[in-house]
Amino acid sequence: MDQLTAALKISGSGMQAQSTRMRVVSENLANAQSTGRTPGADPYRRKTVTFGEEMDRVMGTPTVIVKDIGADRSPFDVKHDPGNPAADANGNVKMPNVNVLIELSDLRQANRSYSANVEAITQARSMLTMNIDLLRNS
Amino acid sequence: MQPIHLFSLASRQADWLSVRQAAVAQNVANADTPKYSAVDVEPFSEVFSQTRLELAATNPGHMAPSGLDAAAADVRREKTWETSHSGNSVNLEQEMIKAGDIHTSFSLNRSIVAAFGRMLTSAVKG
Repeated sequence: MDQLTAALKISGSGMQAQSTRMRVVSENLANAQSTGRTPGADPYRRKTVTFGEEMDRVMGTPTVIVKDIGADRSPFDVKHDPGNPAADANGNVKMPNVNVLIELSDLRQANRSYSANVEAITQARSMLTMNIDLLRNS
Repeated sequence: MQPIHLFSLASRQADWLSVRQAAVAQNVANADTPKYSAVDVEPFSEVFSQTRLELAATNPGHMAPSGLDAAAADVRREKTWETSHSGNSVNLEQEMIKAGDIHTSFSLNRSIVAAFGRMLTSAVKG
């Protein structure tokens, strides 16, 4: 396969992976306050994304995939709130282990990587256009 | 009159630049993949000075040796500016600089080919 087309496909896979990462970050942010329903129940657990490399058999080029969407095993925050339906006998409620600051910086990083992929696509497209112009002008 | 080698030289360089652009795209796409090492192609001077023996695919079942194969150049791991804690050695700024270089060289290459094409056309038309 043409190398420039391969470059476009690879960048596309990178953008898809970064979009998935953004989706997971938004899930985490949206659920930053989601507690359990019954007394002592576990609240929402933060999700994590792991990227991996995969060989695309059709194109013969290495692309990026989301290898795993896992769970963050760090401990939950505990808040004292006896009125909450999820409060245990001592009036403590487990809050999700989502840190909004970390999620926002993760969002920024995903955004930056996405822009870099867009830039790579723009370059490859412009190179393809130059090739076509060569045919057009002569 | 000397034969014109310019077109073969120019198309080899264009091939090499395309492979390099694909390598940059691969690095950028893997900018957040753990344990990924950045790759780059061998310099054009090395590609240009050697004659390569390529394995021919004589049967549809034959597989190409590696990903960016058919390739006008070898793609290999490269030492970059920094390696992050996750073992990833891609630096986005460095890749953008490389992409800029590739774009400039490619633009120059295509302009030269276009100029020679016009020269040939004017010679043929008289």
